[in-house]
Amino acid sequence: MTRIARIVALGLLIHVKHLSRNAFDVMATTIWPLVYATLAYFMFRAGSQPEALLLASLGATVMGIWSITTVGAADAIQRQRWAGVLELLVAAPTPFWAVLLPITIATSTIGIYALVSTLLWGRFLFGIPLHLEQPVIFVLAIPPTIVSIGLLGFVMASVVVRFRAGWAVGNMFEYPVWLVTGLLVPVALLPGWAEPISWLLAPTWGMRALRDAAFTGGAPLFDIAMCVVLSVAYTVIGAVLLGQFLQSARRRATLSLT
Amino acid sequence: MSTLRVALVGGAISFRGLFGWLHPAIFVPTLIVPPIFQVLFFAYLGRAAGLESDTFYVVGNSIQLAALPGLFAMSHAINGERRSQTLAPLLASPASRVALFLGRSLPVMAIGLLVSAVSFSFGVLLLDVELPTRALPTLALAMLAATFSCTALGIAHAAVGLRVREMAVFSNLVFAVLLVFCGVNVPLGDLPSWMSGAAEGLPVTHAVQAGREVVAGSSFLSVAHLLVIELAIGAAYLAAGLVLLRLFERDARRRATIELF
Amino acid sequence: MSRESRTLGAVNVVEAVDLHRTYRVTTGAIRRRTHDLEAVRGVSFAIREGELFGLIGPNGAGKTTTIKMLITLLIPTSGSATVLGHDVVKDARWIRERIGYVFGGERGLYERLSALDNLRYFAELYAVDHRRQRARIDELLSLVGLKGREQERVEGYSRGMRQRLHIARGLLHDPPVLFLDEPTIGVDPVGARELRALIASLTEAGKTVLLTTHYMFEADSLCDRIAVIAKGEIVAQGTPQELKAGVAAGSVVEVEVFGIDQPSVERVLALDGVRAAVVEEHEQRQLLIVQTAPGLELTHAILSQLNGTAVGRVSSREPTLEDAYVQLVTAA
Repeated sequence: MTRIARIVALGLLIHVKHLSRNAFDVMATTIWPLVYATLAYFMFRAGSQPEALLLASLGATVMGIWSITTVGAADAIQRQRWAGVLELLVAAPTPFWAVLLPITIATSTIGIYALVSTLLWGRFLFGIPLHLEQPVIFVLAIPPTIVSIGLLGFVMASVVVRFRAGWAVGNMFEYPVWLVTGLLVPVALLPGWAEPISWLLAPTWGMRALRDAAFTGGAPLFDIAMCVVLSVAYTVIGAVLLGQFLQSARRRATLSLT
Repeated sequence: MSTLRVALVGGAISFRGLFGWLHPAIFVPTLIVPPIFQVLFFAYLGRAAGLESDTFYVVGNSIQLAALPGLFAMSHAINGERRSQTLAPLLASPASRVALFLGRSLPVMAIGLLVSAVSFSFGVLLLDVELPTRALPTLALAMLAATFSCTALGIAHAAVGLRVREMAVFSNLVFAVLLVFCGVNVPLGDLPSWMSGAAEGLPVTHAVQAGREVVAGSSFLSVAHLLVIELAIGAAYLAAGLVLLRLFERDARRRATIELF
Repeated sequence: MSRESRTLGAVNVVEAVDLHRTYRVTTGAIRRRTHDLEAVRGVSFAIREGELFGLIGPNGAGKTTTIKMLITLLIPTSGSATVLGHDVVKDARWIRERIGYVFGGERGLYERLSALDNLRYFAELYAVDHRRQRARIDELLSLVGLKGREQERVEGYSRGMRQRLHIARGLLHDPPVLFLDEPTIGVDPVGARELRALIASLTEAGKTVLLTTHYMFEADSLCDRIAVIAKGEIVAQGTPQELKAGVAAGSVVEVEVFGIDQPSVERVLALDGVRAAVVEEHEQRQLLIVQTAPGLELTHAILSQLNGTAVGRVSSREPTLEDAYVQLVTAA
């Protein structure tokens, strides 16, 4: 058990380091949230309160975190393949889910750059005040948000592992998840069947946690708890799916290792 | 005639070679689903902001989306040649460069038109769009014009991109600029003047204007000038792109830096 | 030299029994056709403790597939294999803790990270006791000669350095069995020589090694025994001496030629007493290598078949392992 904890922790450190040194990933994760924050600013500006703009800023940030996760996590295995490292990871005596999981969380952790840059962008370019009601809880809400979103990426990676072009599937889920989880568009505006789906997705609760900590009203601790609950559920689902696939892949040679 | 052949046949072959996107497993998740959702997303965002109508966003975004293949596919085509190191031999060949690159751009334009049409259709199906059937032919022309100018911008930006290391970031930036500046999701009047000013020199802006006006009831004749401006902008970017390519080629020959390609 | 003086264990550390592996191959994007491809068709061999065993064969012969079965990445379609007495299918995790896998080439490392970071990561993945990790990494860096350069990013490493880092990585958990897949490929001659010395020292230390290589002189000098695999089957097995003896009854005529054509080669092959004829390409010239049956003087006959081709030096020599390999593989 402690070995698993150690490999996850070390894996996270190593992969965050590795991803941070890729200029493209870092830039991609910061540009688009800024674009959406800018658009939201212009669109909401007519007669809006500053709070709506801060909310839009936060929404754009979580959109960025989801963006990099959905494509990056879906692509995680392919990237290991490109580096020529996939065989070594699969052949290790460590269960593969424990190897893949920190890679997907590392992907969403890069979203920290999006968080910082989007909030600063809003503050300095559009004068959106960074007034947070409960700053401590806000900061505490960041890790569970990032981890739970990363783990949703882990589930995605576990499903997409059999394809070489996993990133394409990941790409496909960018907009739909933004919409359904109410990051910029309130879920209330969507058809009724969207709401239950939103409850199952981590970005919904991560967004709520950040929002409830930034403004009055709402229950940020409950939102954080939901992030944790979903994290556990995603871990189990992903591990089971992955284990099943790998076992079958050994037999049918369906995991291209190189 | 052989110039035409170079254009058509060369275009088709390079397309298959470099455009693995022909496979539905990649084509659908990148060029069909995301555009539809971009239209939906901004329409809903508009509703949340209480700004304009569904029609505004559906017309704007579906026309802007012609830039998706226009930028990414074109840069993939040109940079793909660079990566597989066929660009130098290509430029060294006696075939007309104009014919070569126009040939490569034809399939890209076809996809651009497809993306616009599909995303528009789904927008109409799923949202509240007021669409007089009279407007359809002119709207189609507006999409065609935007497809041409976006593909031309694609060639120009791909030529610039030959000197840039991370092409994908650059393409993303250009796409983002079109999304923000050109009155696609924010009326031009609500944008800072430097943005709307810049938009006058960019593709998409005039085609979107024409599209919206004609859907609102204007006649073809009253928007024809906008379409002409759109085409002219496209022609300017095309010329710029071809000049740049020739310049880089000459530069590479002079400095013996074929590695540039 | 040291090979003869080492006593090999009595235990079979790696045992492959009639291994088969079939792949289902699908072709075509729109009209998909599947057919079965049998990559490995009944491979059997056994490696004793402390042995350096070579597996040689052309590309596509089934070497990589065989190794992948032994290192538990693929399950055999039929047949069985054991490593250290444990079944590769049922005891995969147990085996993975006790084998090292090293392959040649540029890839297989995180480029933007330092060698040290790479080793730390793999040490944890391969279950090295965390209390021993730092000491072990240090020890290995010295062993492979990378001490002092471990903080540099791998992207700046030369091919030879990467190979040495690969070996260090493979040894992190001190496995008793090592699988080395073309470890010296693309490495400069000096670096390759050092790597070979390193590999030889591994068996001195009691490890069992399975080596695949394209360099025959490497297999000849390093391996205790060799299996030649072609088209999924083992065509010969034995010590380098034994394999050479299979060809040794005979000799090799080497003719330097300039621009030989296929019909000429065919004519030479058709001569009585010629067992094999291959053309080796060199920069300005080619070398026609003809293996002949014993007791025959065929130089004149060979040369007369080369009418019209410019001919340079002609020599006659004893067959090497490479000749044995060529003969075995072309006959398959």
